[in-house]
Amino acid sequence: MKHVFVFDQDKCSACSACMMGCMDQNDIDLAAGDQCFRKTYDNEIALADGSTYCAYISAACMHCTDAPCIAACPVGCLSKDPETGFTVYDNTNCIGCKSCAMACPFGAPRYRASDGKMVKCDGCNERVKNGLKPACVCACSFGALTCVTEEEYKASGSNKACSALIDQLGLKKK
Amino acid sequence: MTELEKKIKAKIPGEDTGIEVRHSLCAICSPGIHCGVDCYVKDGKIIRVEGTPDHPLNRGKLCTKGSSLRNYVYREDRIKTPLKRVGERGEGKFEPITWDEAYQIIAENLNKVKEQYSAHAVAFFSGYCKWYRPILHRFAHVFGSVNFGTDDSTCFASMYIADKVTAGTGGGPDMGHANTFLGWNYEGYYSNHLSVAGVQKLKERGGKVIIIDIRDTPATKNLADIFLKINPGTDGALALGMAKLIIDNGWADMDYVEKYTYGFEQYRELVQQYPLDKVAEITGLNPDDIYEATKLYATNGPACTNFSASALVHHINGFNSHRAILCLTALTGNFDREGGNVPNPPSYIHKRAGFRSREEEFRSNRYPGGQRRIGAERFPLWEAQNDEFQAMDLLRQIEEQKPYPVKAVVGLGMNAKMFPETDKLLAAMTKNLDFFVNIDLFMTMTCKYADIVLPACSSVERGELKAYEGGYLAFTKPVIEPLYESKSDVDILCELARVMDLDDDLLKQGYEASADWMIDGCGLTVAELKKTGQPMKVPTAKWPAKPGKLLENGFKTPSGKFEFYSNAIAAIDPKFGLDPLPSYRDPLADQNDPETREKYPFYLCTGARLPHAIHSRVHDTPWLRSIRPNPTVEVHTADAARLGLQNGDKVALSSPYGEIRMLVKITGKAKEGVLMTLHGYTEANVNELIGRNHLDPYSGFPGFKGMRCNIRKVQED
Repeated sequence: MKHVFVFDQDKCSACSACMMGCMDQNDIDLAAGDQCFRKTYDNEIALADGSTYCAYISAACMHCTDAPCIAACPVGCLSKDPETGFTVYDNTNCIGCKSCAMACPFGAPRYRASDGKMVKCDGCNERVKNGLKPACVCACSFGALTCVTEEEYKASGSNKACSALIDQLGLKKK
Repeated sequence: MTELEKKIKAKIPGEDTGIEVRHSLCAICSPGIHCGVDCYVKDGKIIRVEGTPDHPLNRGKLCTKGSSLRNYVYREDRIKTPLKRVGERGEGKFEPITWDEAYQIIAENLNKVKEQYSAHAVAFFSGYCKWYRPILHRFAHVFGSVNFGTDDSTCFASMYIADKVTAGTGGGPDMGHANTFLGWNYEGYYSNHLSVAGVQKLKERGGKVIIIDIRDTPATKNLADIFLKINPGTDGALALGMAKLIIDNGWADMDYVEKYTYGFEQYRELVQQYPLDKVAEITGLNPDDIYEATKLYATNGPACTNFSASALVHHINGFNSHRAILCLTALTGNFDREGGNVPNPPSYIHKRAGFRSREEEFRSNRYPGGQRRIGAERFPLWEAQNDEFQAMDLLRQIEEQKPYPVKAVVGLGMNAKMFPETDKLLAAMTKNLDFFVNIDLFMTMTCKYADIVLPACSSVERGELKAYEGGYLAFTKPVIEPLYESKSDVDILCELARVMDLDDDLLKQGYEASADWMIDGCGLTVAELKKTGQPMKVPTAKWPAKPGKLLENGFKTPSGKFEFYSNAIAAIDPKFGLDPLPSYRDPLADQNDPETREKYPFYLCTGARLPHAIHSRVHDTPWLRSIRPNPTVEVHTADAARLGLQNGDKVALSSPYGEIRMLVKITGKAKEGVLMTLHGYTEANVNELIGRNHLDPYSGFPGFKGMRCNIRKVQED
């Protein structure tokens, strides 16, 4: 069953629990220079009216349907898992050229200095196949980060559109 | 890679992978929380941690800190063996010794101090951890010392005493039945992550949320219908101003006030001094916003209020600010009412679980008397209302050795960085103590001053009695063996009690016997609890707490009512100047002379929570430290522009008491003129800037969140 990561920024606080879950699952060794596959952002954006918008965001590989990293890899490390739909990899043949990271609009693949190979979020592919949630989703207490099946995503997507459009009408609700 | 290898790499539990899921709890943060954790264990090592899905408290959820529990447990600075100091105090030179040697040295030295001075010359002090406190408390008393003290001298107890002298007890927000949530200092995303879902649910059913805070936060963005961004330390004035609005507009519940409260006339006179324009001026808020928030709170009831154990009471006016807010709950008829704030006494170590234990009796029935506790002469309200010493007087007493000498300290997780003017305390301890033993997980700055250091184990390496909301009790099972030679704190204390042959069979029988004594009559025993290790329903527990008991049977105060005018405070010698009414004074009242104002124009607020830190406990946990690697001061955009500061610049923060270096982070989240930092960094310990006498006279709490300071750019490294 294909899976989709959904991020709701109205529930996020950039608390970074998702990063802790990711580092725990993937044994990220910061002392060796490893980087977490997921990253949170706590950004303040100055608006035209003089006010500030606080953006709380969590981002990792988006597992794009048409993932540009796959085509960019000269040695064919990256692929789509037909079962989960996640963008997975086997970096045995990786030459550390970073083409995947450059092709990625989100810069998701990371270069791991300790072995000179690229690594990235694989959606916790094996966990999901075994009926578990991805580690970052598991660590999110606020429902900001979820991982749903494609069917669930389609259903929720239409609801979201409806609420967004109603909100735009600016009705004074009871 | 074979399928099995893939599963092992992905840490999938199962017989084939040899990965077992074992249950424990995370004790990084406050005992009011302590989420259940699932530890994935392979070959005796934890390889992953998740929240326990069916745990009655957290239902699988973990916060940022709990999610890094594995990184915390396996930190490189864990103490591995008992250690004996071989260098100078503070130098950090130790040699390993055996447990037997350590116990002998401790016993000898404590008995020596007892003989030469008195048992009271030994102060027993606990840092942030709470779980072993009944054992330590009793140990101190059985040894013969009245001096048991804890980090409660700067956390929680101010609120506890303020509640007690006003209403006999505090009351938690009944979020499930409220129409309005007054989130005073509420930031559930950063601390108490489990509370956010309750606020979200309230909003989903049409409830309203007011948040009062000094900075923009995820809670103000995601949850607040009205956000009052208040000048720090002025919350008391706002609460008094709200009370005036409520009374003047006829929004008060006068039936409740007449039936259940005491001292309303004096209170009404006090709040008349806080008209809207004056309150707006003090708090830096728009009068219309104050009016709208007050109207919503008072007329869209029932309304419940968030109270915090540290945010507010870390001001020198914090005790009364807390009382002023608490008084609003009675003025609007929301105290001890459904959907308001409902009293629910703790069952065991701060946890409300609907049953009674004998914890208090266990702690206090061997109280030796014969001397007044440390701090008793300076903080009479504390001394009258709390059964431990006020440690904010420890430095003075160790320095002056008056009214009687303090010559030894037994510390469990004692952390000198908690104390204002930390270095002065360490210097006094170095100079005047005959003996100092500290027990900790990690080789902390404070441990380096100890004569003997003992390695404690973490929550996942021990069994622990723990009560939970919903009427639950658990006795956890260790998920791994204690690392290195570490031991559970309570086993250390009970073994020491045996070596010293203290006159107490309970302590000498050990932790489990003591725990059984404390929970006797609840309907469960330690042996039964140990079978599962998971929370079990306590047969005698009554849950949830029913509101209205105090209204029916009377409040536990001298008048039997909710006291706007506190009789307990009125009973304190007037020479201390404590006001029985929740009057307001400036949060910098002791630093407002023209010279200090000019030299230290900034308002320093330390310790406002961020999700990746809690005190100094996790600053050295690599995953968490990576979120904000350097000690950082948050500077307002306008101040930064004026001072020519850029993100990442090195600055000196100074007060009349000290100076530290931090890096700049520019933000618009707090107000102009306010500097915000985390506390607890060894290399940039902001408590060096807080004066030792910058204290709330009611509680003795330091003004950690309100202190004058200055900032300047520095070039050198």
